[in-house]
Amino acid sequence: MGAEVRMTDGNPTGHCSFCREPAVILDRGQRLCAGHLVAEVENRVRKDISEKGMVAPGDRLAVALSGGKDSTALLLVLSRLLPEGQDVTLTAITIDEGIAGYREETLHAAEKLTKELGITHRVLSFACIFGKPLDALVAGQQERGCTICGVLRRKALEEGAREIGATKLVTGHNADDEAQSVLMNLLRGDLTRLIQDSSSGDPEPFVPRIKPLAGITEKEVLAYLFIRGFYTDLPECPYAQPALRSEIREMLAGLEDRHPGTREALLQSRDVLRAHVALPPHGQLRACRECGGLSSGEICRACQILRSMGS
Amino acid sequence: MQVILPDKSTRTLPDNPRTIESLLSELGIRSSGVIVARNGVLVPDDAVAGGDDQVRIIRVAHGG
Repeated sequence: MGAEVRMTDGNPTGHCSFCREPAVILDRGQRLCAGHLVAEVENRVRKDISEKGMVAPGDRLAVALSGGKDSTALLLVLSRLLPEGQDVTLTAITIDEGIAGYREETLHAAEKLTKELGITHRVLSFACIFGKPLDALVAGQQERGCTICGVLRRKALEEGAREIGATKLVTGHNADDEAQSVLMNLLRGDLTRLIQDSSSGDPEPFVPRIKPLAGITEKEVLAYLFIRGFYTDLPECPYAQPALRSEIREMLAGLEDRHPGTREALLQSRDVLRAHVALPPHGQLRACRECGGLSSGEICRACQILRSMGS
Repeated sequence: MQVILPDKSTRTLPDNPRTIESLLSELGIRSSGVIVARNGVLVPDDAVAGGDDQVRIIRVAHGG
């Protein structure tokens, strides 16, 4: 039955909107075949990088590579798109948080991918940076695991980026992640993080962060990986479920299904705010008093967490 | 029709043809969070599956 042409909408052939190949996805109102989905994703990332001036000649990019779907797609796209002859270098950085039964597999996937692409790969561990693996750090308070891990991982990535002399830290946040962050920052009342654009590198000397996949949806990322043959069935992080982000992800996914355009509207709201709202000096990100890292208060969240754990 | 769910469990459903969209709805799965392969090939939500098709629903693993 699979070989038959069987579509139900106004396109009786089931072909791609741009060629005679069979469609694999309905994407933003267009029916795309495998080749055109890959081209669409890469073209959109290329355009975003160019329009937002994310990469400049001579840049040394530290790519946060967890080995999961987003960072894998990010590295694949960047390795294809980076302008030749502009002396832009890529180094992948993986943080081994120390999550038994989970991180080993994604770490292996990251090592395999960088080897295949010929990209330098560095691995930093929580145990080396913070003295203990995540499992030990959150023992007895596993419900906070995802939040704590996110904060400490950002700090570890910053350290890794500084160690290799990176001019930019590149992360694989996709459009769904970004929309979730908008809502999370609103719910937490964190106007600073809602508005401040971390791609600027302000305040100095923080490494600017860029997000080339911020215009690509989770579904597009997944389809891109599947088509390019890099989809791997990796385990779910054991700390992922109880976090606030999981609830918001579910809620936004439901809203997007029932009210298409919700995600885009949230992102546009943030962009309008960024363009029109100036934070007072005391509300801007600054250097943490204890570690010198990026912080919206006197002491960064990583130091607050480590202090509360007696580390 | 055999359906492989995101948790990798397998269900056998009646053979009558239906769209992927209907199938996902029947299973209570949101389309926005998954991609679907019919007999190993990605298909859009309005493709039809039935008979002896094997449908695999792939959901994003979160975290990391």
